[in-house]
Amino acid sequence: MDFLSKAARKSPWLYRINAGSCNGCDVELATTACIPRYDVERLGCQYCGSPKHADIVLITGPLTARVKDKVLRVYDEIPDPKVTVAIGVCPISGGVFRESYAIEGPIDRYLPVDVNVPGCPPRPQAIIEGIAKAIEIWAKRA
Amino acid sequence: MTTETLWTLATVLVFPGGLFALVLGLALKGVERRAIARLQRRIGPPLVQPFYDLLKLMRKRTLIPDTANAFVFLAVPVAGLASMAVAAGMIPIAGFFEPSPLLGNLVVLFYLISIPAVSLMLAGSASGSPYGAIGFSREMAIVLAYEGPILLSLVSVALYAGALTGQPVLLNLTEIVRYQQQHGAFLFDPWMWPALLTYLCFIPANLGIAPFDIPEAESEILEGPLVEYSGPPLGLMKMMSVTKAVVVLGLGIALFFPNGPAGLAGLLVFIIKCLVLVLAVSLLKAAVGRMRIDQAVLFYLKWPELLGFAGLALAIARF
Repeated sequence: MDFLSKAARKSPWLYRINAGSCNGCDVELATTACIPRYDVERLGCQYCGSPKHADIVLITGPLTARVKDKVLRVYDEIPDPKVTVAIGVCPISGGVFRESYAIEGPIDRYLPVDVNVPGCPPRPQAIIEGIAKAIEIWAKRA
Repeated sequence: MTTETLWTLATVLVFPGGLFALVLGLALKGVERRAIARLQRRIGPPLVQPFYDLLKLMRKRTLIPDTANAFVFLAVPVAGLASMAVAAGMIPIAGFFEPSPLLGNLVVLFYLISIPAVSLMLAGSASGSPYGAIGFSREMAIVLAYEGPILLSLVSVALYAGALTGQPVLLNLTEIVRYQQQHGAFLFDPWMWPALLTYLCFIPANLGIAPFDIPEAESEILEGPLVEYSGPPLGLMKMMSVTKAVVVLGLGIALFFPNGPAGLAGLLVFIIKCLVLVLAVSLLKAAVGRMRIDQAVLFYLKWPELLGFAGLALAIARF
């Protein structure tokens, strides 16, 4: 089992959930942390399309009222063990949308958040550092 | 059980089927990912990354969706992997390994090679997910398109080798390899070039490599048939696909360029040929985007089909 978990820490697969984000963080995530220039694949990461393949889940956005149920459902579909990373200030405080009638956040009222990467949007280097921190937590859980 | 049965079982389970094909396939996958990373000027994952991924999947929970047919959903990866292990046991390695005649000939191998595609279709439809259903229909379309050309290519080689050895048709892969060992590879024989090109066209579609990775397009239909899989069954699916890569590349090598020295060096030459093919495939994958399913089907029904018929005509003309 120890051998398996040692191998598992080198293979964290990433999945993105957009919880009503303004797309700023998504653009940073998808087009900046994913493109060849900032290579997360060297950490063993791989973006996967299905939540069922994921190990580390990256959540962006302030959790709007409309999207809350869907986010929780997708989150439940990620098999254990998993690590949650909140990208941007919105998931934690609501960011510029805080105190809005349409916001159900902060997200840690519903989901356990392990790492937060603040910024509006955060720099790609910061996102990669957040992923590296999440991998340390993932290594303990896997 | 006789010793021959035991030996055949060993060829299917340990070498060159089962274990060996799995390890070689995972290593080739690692080389492919690394090569693509280097072509994109990044560092890329370590060469052993596919091994880590597979071990990781063994630690994850297995989820079965409510809408899925649980038995088919879980049985299909096992069936696909088993068929690929048997198929890998049927690939001769010139100078090093001759498959047991108990396993059958080229026709059996042809059927075994189409089983992973059938498993993916069943997996997609049994998962009960709309993405799986789309993956299922796309997989079906592309299989129907490339199955014709690959059959024409195999038949051309069998007829041609038969004509050269004075038989109507030579379906025994070991003898095809032996003939080429003695008289030179089909790779250097212009009569066989259309069949060779057809086979090369078939490789990316069967292995799900861009521009023909349409059934498992992860950025549009979330890996299609694999969308609902998690944990160990997903690991089995990944094992099936890497073993399939070894079978398809190995069959191409056996049909067109099996020549190699005797003994352990023969195995080494085989692995080097696989590596060269994988590097070529990585270049293709890194260079092109994904086609639409209708474009891919039309492409296969046009050019490889035409090449296949040309190859067949040349093989018949040799009688």
